[in-house]
Amino acid sequence: MTALVELEDIGKSYGPTVALRGVSFRLAPGTVHALVGENGAGKSTLMKILSGVVTPDRGILRLRGERVVLPHPRAALDRGIATVFQELSLLPNLTVAENIFLGHEPRNRWGMVDRRVMEERTAELLAALELAVSPRCLVRQLSLAERQFVEIARGLGADAQVLILDEPSAALNAADVEKLFRQVRRLREAGTGIIYISHRLEEVFALADTVTVLKDGAEVGTYGTTDLDPDRLIALMVGRDLVDLFPPRATETGEVALAVEELRLSEAAPTVSLSVRRGEIVGLAGLEGQGQREILRSLVGLVPCQSGRVRVGDAVLDLPLGAREGIRAGYARGMGMIPEDRKEEGLLLDLSVAGNLLLTSESLRGALAPRHKAREEVARQVEDLAIKTESPEAPVASLSGGNQQKVLLGRVLGPELEVLLVEEPTRGVDVGAKVEIYQRLREFAEAGGAVLLLSRETLELIGLCDRLLVVHGGRVVGKMRGEEATDHAILEAALAADPEAGGEAA
Amino acid sequence: MWWIPVVALLAAAVYLSLATDRFATERNLTNLVAQAGPLLLVSLGQMLVVVIRGLDLSVGAVISLTTAIVALELPAPVSLPLALLAGACVGLVNGTLTVRFRVHPIIATLAMAGILQGVTQLLRPVAGGRVPEVLGAVVNGSVGPVSTPILLALVAIGGMTLLLHRSRLGLHLFAVGGGETAGSFGVAEGRTRITAYVLCSVLATLTGLFIAGRIGSGDPNIGGPFSVDSITAVALGGTQLAGGIGSVGGTVAGAAFLALLSNGMNLLNVSAFVQTILKGTILLVVVLLQPRKNIGL
Repeated sequence: MTALVELEDIGKSYGPTVALRGVSFRLAPGTVHALVGENGAGKSTLMKILSGVVTPDRGILRLRGERVVLPHPRAALDRGIATVFQELSLLPNLTVAENIFLGHEPRNRWGMVDRRVMEERTAELLAALELAVSPRCLVRQLSLAERQFVEIARGLGADAQVLILDEPSAALNAADVEKLFRQVRRLREAGTGIIYISHRLEEVFALADTVTVLKDGAEVGTYGTTDLDPDRLIALMVGRDLVDLFPPRATETGEVALAVEELRLSEAAPTVSLSVRRGEIVGLAGLEGQGQREILRSLVGLVPCQSGRVRVGDAVLDLPLGAREGIRAGYARGMGMIPEDRKEEGLLLDLSVAGNLLLTSESLRGALAPRHKAREEVARQVEDLAIKTESPEAPVASLSGGNQQKVLLGRVLGPELEVLLVEEPTRGVDVGAKVEIYQRLREFAEAGGAVLLLSRETLELIGLCDRLLVVHGGRVVGKMRGEEATDHAILEAALAADPEAGGEAA
Repeated sequence: MWWIPVVALLAAAVYLSLATDRFATERNLTNLVAQAGPLLLVSLGQMLVVVIRGLDLSVGAVISLTTAIVALELPAPVSLPLALLAGACVGLVNGTLTVRFRVHPIIATLAMAGILQGVTQLLRPVAGGRVPEVLGAVVNGSVGPVSTPILLALVAIGGMTLLLHRSRLGLHLFAVGGGETAGSFGVAEGRTRITAYVLCSVLATLTGLFIAGRIGSGDPNIGGPFSVDSITAVALGGTQLAGGIGSVGGTVAGAAFLALLSNGMNLLNVSAFVQTILKGTILLVVVLLQPRKNIGL
C-alpha cells in the first residue's frame, strides 16, 4: 500500500541549532500515528514542515508517492493536509464559523463569502463534538477548552486526508478527551491518516496504532503500540530508564505553614478553609473549572474575592487583596506563585534567562540598591535546576518549554520562600523535565516548604501530592491521601457533591 | 460603543437646528454633504488600514498630490489615470515598506507624507491651475433629483460594505488584524496587508479628485488636515486602533459627525484654530475610551 505521506531524510537547522538531522517518517491511510519525544526533540518542526509553515533545508516529501514541495501553509492545505496546532492560533476577533472556514471560505454565486453555508457546516461540526456554542459567537468569549474544540473542529472541517493534531488535548479534561477520541476514530475508519502528538502517554496507548519516537532531532524508531508499554516508551523518549516519574512522598510534616480561613469567592459562595503543613504538597483536584483556580489565585489577589484571611507562617493577610499589591504582599511574607501560562503571565520572553531569574528577588529591593553576586546566583540556579541554555544572557524565548518552566520555577524559588502556589506545574513540558520539576518541588517541601498546587492531569496530582482536596462548585467536597487516590475516587467525590452533574455524567 | 457616534450625531444635528437658523437650510445641507463626502471616502480607506493594525498618515499628502496632478492641465484621459496610478503606487510602497521591510506604519507613512508633500510643492508651489472640466461636472452635477455627491457616497458605502463584510478579502483583513496566526490558516498575510494600503491610497486619490472637482484647481495644502481627521473619524466609529475590529457603519457615522462638527462650528463662527484644538481633543478622548484589552487577550 502506498503511504499517504512519506518524509525522507528531512534536515532543518535554525542558525547553529540543529532541529532535525535526517528524519524519515511514513504515514499509512486509516491509521493513527503518534509522534512522541521530549520538547526540543523536533516533533513540532517536523510537523511544521509537513504543514508548509517551515521549509526544510534538505530531504524529500512525498504525498501518495508523488514528490511535492510545500512553500507555504496554503500549499499544504490545498493538498489535503490540515493541522491543529499546539499553540492556540484562533483569531479572537472573528466568529467561530469564520475561524473554522478561514482560508477556505465557501462562496456563493456572486463570489461573496456564503455565511449561511459556513454557519450550517460549523453547527454540524460542533454538534459532532458535542460543543454547545453558537457558530456566530466570537472566539474571544470562549473558554480555553472550548477554543481547543473549535481548533479541532477546524481540523475536522478541512476534510483532509492527512490530519495533524499537535497536543490537541492540552486544555481538555477527561470527558472532553473522550469526545475528541471518538472523532479521531471516526476519521480513521474513513481512511484519514492522523498524526497525533501528545505528552500524555496514556492517550498514545489508547488511540494510536503506530508510534514514532524522536530524540534530539533524530528518529529513535517506529513501533506498533501493542509492542510497547508506557515504561518502555518513556525510556525510549528520555534515552534512559525511569524507575519512577514521581519522587517519594513526605514521611513527616511540620506545623501549618499556609492556612486559608473562611475564604468566600463571591457574596453567594460557600466558604473555603484549608491548610498546608511544612513538608507537604497538597493538590486541588476535581472536574475542570470548579473553582480550583479561583481559590488559588484569590490568595495572591489575582482573582477578586469577597472576604477571608490567609495565614502565612505568623503573618495574616486579609482578603481580598488587590491585583497590584497581592503578589508583592505574598512574596514579602514568603509566599510565591507560579502561574499556568508561563508565556503570558510567568516570564518576560524577550528578557534574558538571568533577567527572569532575578526578577522576583529584585522587585523586592530598593530601585537603586546595588546587587552583589547576581551572576553567581544566576549561575547557581541554572546549574541547580539543570536549565539548558546557551548562556544566561540568552532570551528566555529561545529555550524549550521545559527549560522555560524551570526558569519560572527558579524565579519564584528563593531562600526566603516558605509557601509555593503552583498552577499546572508541567503544562506542555516533556517527560524528562517533568521528572526534574517534580523533584524540585519535593525538595522544596522537604526543606520545610509548603506547596499548594492544581493540575488538569489527574495522574500528576495523584503521583505528586501527599494530600488531595476535591473541589466542586467552589467548595472543598472531599479529602484523600495521595497514595489512596484514584481517578475514579476523585470523580466520585466531586459528583457525589452535586447530584445534578452526577446525573448528567451518567 | 457603536452607539456613541450615532447619539453624538443626532445630538449635534438637533443642537445646530435650534442654535442657528442657517443650519437646516437646503443650501447648507447640500454643502454639508459635499464637505462630508471627501472625509467619508478617505476615512473608509483609512479604516481598512486600521483594521489590519496599520495607520496611514500619508492620505492627506496623497489628496494634495492628486489635486496638483490633475491641475497640470494635461488632457483628462491622461491626468486622471495618472493620478490614480500615482495613488496606487504610493499604497504599494507604503504596504511594501511595512510588510516586507517591517518599517513601523507610522514611520513609513509619515516619511511618505513628507516626500509627497515635497513633490506636490515642486509641481505646484501655490494653489492654482485648472482641472479637467469633467471633474467639476461630475462633482457638482446631479442624477435626477439626487446630487452626485450623495450618490457617490452611497456607492462608496455600499461597495465598502460588500468588500469588508461580505467578501473574502474583508474576512482576511479582519483575520490579519486579529493576530499573528492568520498565516497558518492559509491567509496570504503580506498580500492582504499590502492590498489594504493600496486601497487606502486609491480611496485618498478619489478623494483628491472629488476635492479638485469642487475647487476647480490644484492646492498643495488642501489635503493636510485629512490624515488626522480620517483617523479621528475611524476611531469615533468604533474601529479599534489595535486592529481587528471595525465596521463601515461606524466609520460613516464617525465621518458624518466630524463633518457636522466642522459645519456647525463654521456656522457659529468658531475660529479655525479652536476647531483643530477641539478635533485633537476628540481624537484623544475617543482613543482613551477604546477597550484596548479586547483583542489579543
